[in-house]
Amino acid sequence: MGEKITFWYGCNVLRHGDIVHSCLDILKRLGYDAQPAGGPDYCCGSSKDANQQAADGMARRTVGRFNQIGRERVVAWCPSCHSHMTEFMGRAYQPDFGLGYFVDLLHDNLAALKPLLVHAVPMRVMLHRHVGFNDRVAVNDKVPELLRAIPGVEVVEDDYKAPGYMCSLLNAVPQAMTDMFRETVEHAKARGADAVVCIFHQCYRELLGLDAAGEVEVFNYVQLIARSMGLAHVDEYKQWKRAGKDAAAAIGEARVAQVGVQFFERAMLPELVKRPVGLAARNKKDPGGTPFDA
Amino acid sequence: MAERPVLASALREFLKGETERILGACTLCGKCVEVCPMTRYSLPTQGADPKTVVTGIHALLRGEQAGAPDALGWASVCVRSESCVPACPENVNPMMMVRIARMSASGGLGGKKQITLREDRDLYDRVRAFAKLNLTDEEIRNWM
Repeated sequence: MGEKITFWYGCNVLRHGDIVHSCLDILKRLGYDAQPAGGPDYCCGSSKDANQQAADGMARRTVGRFNQIGRERVVAWCPSCHSHMTEFMGRAYQPDFGLGYFVDLLHDNLAALKPLLVHAVPMRVMLHRHVGFNDRVAVNDKVPELLRAIPGVEVVEDDYKAPGYMCSLLNAVPQAMTDMFRETVEHAKARGADAVVCIFHQCYRELLGLDAAGEVEVFNYVQLIARSMGLAHVDEYKQWKRAGKDAAAAIGEARVAQVGVQFFERAMLPELVKRPVGLAARNKKDPGGTPFDA
Repeated sequence: MAERPVLASALREFLKGETERILGACTLCGKCVEVCPMTRYSLPTQGADPKTVVTGIHALLRGEQAGAPDALGWASVCVRSESCVPACPENVNPMMMVRIARMSASGGLGGKKQITLREDRDLYDRVRAFAKLNLTDEEIRNWM
């Protein structure tokens, strides 16, 4: 086994079990010994701007935990975690590890990755890009290179970049979110793209509203790499999102009971039902239909 | 691994140092406001004099409690596009400047709450619930 790393997957990607498991399989196939770490106990605290006492405690705890794990490199999946470690946590609390980013790791291993991409994925895709984060990690250039290594994938050229560094922050500025949805659909259709491919899971979660509303199919780039490698992890979140208000049935009674029916209905179902404003009504087959307005 | 003392409030200390650095380096030229793709989403910031907006941001950094609407508006709509960073002739890192102003204006540094940021009270419980749906018990024990 090769380099021992900590794979810091973050918090919110836990919605997408297929992405987490695919990343770990890819790391293994590339020869890495990856220790996964994430969830609330490894939170970066970037969502705690209004409570710096809590953010401080989280930064101290998470840097301390990674120091205790003792691996020389932490490879982040989440751009928020990566940015917060770079800008705040790692400057306040001394890390005993280097920080990397998953896209960089894959790109650095492109020669080793290519022979693993054996299955064709015939698809003309448009990459969903943002203005931010790209100066830290050149994701807007590197992810298309990764995608073009997949047999059958064609990446169309497009100049649209959404503001911010990922979509979920746009939730605080509803008009910006609405504009992003509209621009994304217009550009994808103008370019004749079969699908929109996201770099970050936060964007994937938001743009799945377009997929569920029948506007354009949406993937995360790791899902296409996994498909080409023959990894068979099922994207259940997409199934749940497409099921909309019938998501509980799609998940199954026993599994919903495991998280609590009331909690599921109050805190999980709303995001599965949510659809971009003005688009839900265009697809009569869509069982979701709650316009995005918050 | 070498033992070393860890200051419990090191992040707060870091923010204090950054605030002093920013206030010392920023010349209020307003180029950061001019290039921001988000000002059009804040009514009080649209059309405001960029220098005035940054002056208001400085007031928030100093902890002043009656923030100017254009500055509060800008801090509210910042989604970290980073367009301001290369635009700054003084290498201030205006994104950091606005982020700390946002922390201050939202009461995150102990002052008066002048803007409301989205708070998701279910964030961590929801993450744990999705983990239950997507990971095995063993993965939850070993990975979280």
